[in-house]
Amino acid sequence: MHKLWRVAVYEYRRNVFKKSFILTLLSLPCTIAFTIGLGFFMESRQDNRRPVGVVDQAGVLSAAFIPTDIVSVWAVEHDEPLEFIAFQTNEMARLALEANEIQAYFILPEHYMSTRQLEVVYLQEPGENAWGQFYDILRLNLLNGQSPETVYRAASGVDFIVRSIDGKREVPAASGPTFGLLMPLFIAMAFLFMLLMSSGYTMSAVADEKENRTVEVLVTSISSMQLIGGKILGVVAISLTMLFAWTGVVILGIFIGRQAGVGWFSNLSMDWRAVIAVVAIGIPAYVLVTALMTAIGAMVTTTQEGQSVSGIFFALHFVPMYISWSFLNDPHSSLAVLLSVLPITSLMTVGMRNLFTIVPTWQVIISVVIQIMCALGAIWLASRAFHFGILRYGQRLNIRRLLGLD
Amino acid sequence: MQTVEVKHISKSYNNTHAVEDLSFEVEQGEIFGLLGPNGAGKTTTIRLMLNIFKPDSGTISILDGPMIEAKKARIGYMPEERGLYQDVLLERCLLYLASLKGIPERETRTRLGEYLERFELAEHKGKKVKELSKGMQQKAQIISTILHQPELIVVDEPFTALDPLNVQIVKDLMIELHQRGVTIVMSTHQMHLVEELCDRILLIDQGRNVLYGALDEIRQHFSGHAVLVHAQGDLRNIQGVREILPHNNAVKLVLDDRTMPQDVFKALAASGTKVNMFEIALPSLDEIFIQVVEGGEMHA
Repeated sequence: MHKLWRVAVYEYRRNVFKKSFILTLLSLPCTIAFTIGLGFFMESRQDNRRPVGVVDQAGVLSAAFIPTDIVSVWAVEHDEPLEFIAFQTNEMARLALEANEIQAYFILPEHYMSTRQLEVVYLQEPGENAWGQFYDILRLNLLNGQSPETVYRAASGVDFIVRSIDGKREVPAASGPTFGLLMPLFIAMAFLFMLLMSSGYTMSAVADEKENRTVEVLVTSISSMQLIGGKILGVVAISLTMLFAWTGVVILGIFIGRQAGVGWFSNLSMDWRAVIAVVAIGIPAYVLVTALMTAIGAMVTTTQEGQSVSGIFFALHFVPMYISWSFLNDPHSSLAVLLSVLPITSLMTVGMRNLFTIVPTWQVIISVVIQIMCALGAIWLASRAFHFGILRYGQRLNIRRLLGLD
Repeated sequence: MQTVEVKHISKSYNNTHAVEDLSFEVEQGEIFGLLGPNGAGKTTTIRLMLNIFKPDSGTISILDGPMIEAKKARIGYMPEERGLYQDVLLERCLLYLASLKGIPERETRTRLGEYLERFELAEHKGKKVKELSKGMQQKAQIISTILHQPELIVVDEPFTALDPLNVQIVKDLMIELHQRGVTIVMSTHQMHLVEELCDRILLIDQGRNVLYGALDEIRQHFSGHAVLVHAQGDLRNIQGVREILPHNNAVKLVLDDRTMPQDVFKALAASGTKVNMFEIALPSLDEIFIQVVEGGEMHA
């Protein structure tokens, strides 16, 4: 086996077959699952499936509550329609409430049409679905007498489509961007997250050699290039392990979400060209930053100093997010194109532009080529920094020396 | 044939001369001692030799030419800064370091087992390195240096942290490797071990060569005009003896300039004194070291 691969395999096994890694691996999906679960739990607590009573003293509501010609629209708008029960008197409704047959009852007093005031009686706060569906019923019944088109339109609610300027992307405003449409951005963010996570591994990969004083033994066994290249490959493999594991969790979550009938997961169709573009940029971008982290780790005198310098690089990754309004205004502006091809910023820029338009292939190709060249250069730089800087305990490495200018 | 040939190398750090115009050769199959006081430039010299650093000037030939990647597998190096992965199991750590020298794991594993037995580390192979004592780690480091059967071994202070028993084990190993024809460059402060093991030495001070040559010749060169005698009888009346000094079980007779050791021996024989031991008094390497470092340059 090539020595570079030996280093990579060793680095991978040393980190992955540890309890701390397993905990890190599980912590993120567990946290997300817990957060989502908590959200669903809180949401479910806000809904109440029990019937709702209505005492219509004003005679506003029809007997069926929902006009027959829009029953189908109603079913689409409300996944789980509640049962509404009409009561002749307040007393009958109260008895039903006390018997726990209904969660609450609404009273439309005789003077409702003039005052627009109604009463709600409950023992415990009714679910939000009860409020929402009752007001929808009331609104539809108040439209009685209007043309069927008007009633139908009102029942359907607001619906429009957001279309990109170039007409290549459409987002239904009512439902928002679909999961599939957001996928390139999710992938870009996953790369970014992975990068943040693995930079710690990269720093420790270098720092450990310093701490263990193994550097001299290593550089008299293999070349700096093999050592650093192997370490970077090892860290990349660690990160991919995390990514695959988390992707598996996401797929499982989507499956469960679809089985549970969560609407957001219903449309998974995605633009594979956009996904491939983000992945193609993400891999060399990741290698580039990992190599830079290695170089920084070898150049600085303390880990704290290294974290300060690396913080600047991380901040640069978030620049596209700060100016996302610019991409929304014009996804093909000069700034957008420039940030799409520049290393560090290209990943998030392309990921975000994909929301609003299709990034031209030539820009993606240029970006990938630049990323690969920069990644190779960074590996070379990292190997030199390691070679010259690692034995300089307590001394900062001169940039001129690093670049071979001294 | 020279295994290492260093010619006029110099190395400076921030205007400080770590090594200055240093030249020496290491013959194939010899044990070569690299000596000098702390901060003399020994470690820098070794790092230059092994291409860890590049010299500012001068040339280095190692294993018949400049240092290249392919030669790394033929060299074993134990640096002054001991290097083993503290959080890794001993056996795995040593196998990994050996694998970087390009040795197949099956071959390494068999040889490693033998060395672990020899160095009494076999029962500790499943422990993390950090759980081992300093002496055990030192022995593990030595195993790591020789496991891939190098032609040239460079060891920086190999006897540090070892108890007398383990010093003997390492010493025996050095002799065994020497007999097998392995070239050894050894940097140490333990002069008695240099006397026991080394064929030739280089003493450097402030980065410069102050003493270089065969150990016997150097000691001969530094021998004073004196003899060591263990005899039964009165030695005070021997002519030409300037001073009589106790020396372990014997006495050291310091002669005047006109008297030769042979004259003393003849005088002892003529007086009927029973002589158990008679030898030319050679200085210890410790004495030579102090004399040279404190007194200035001297080439053998």
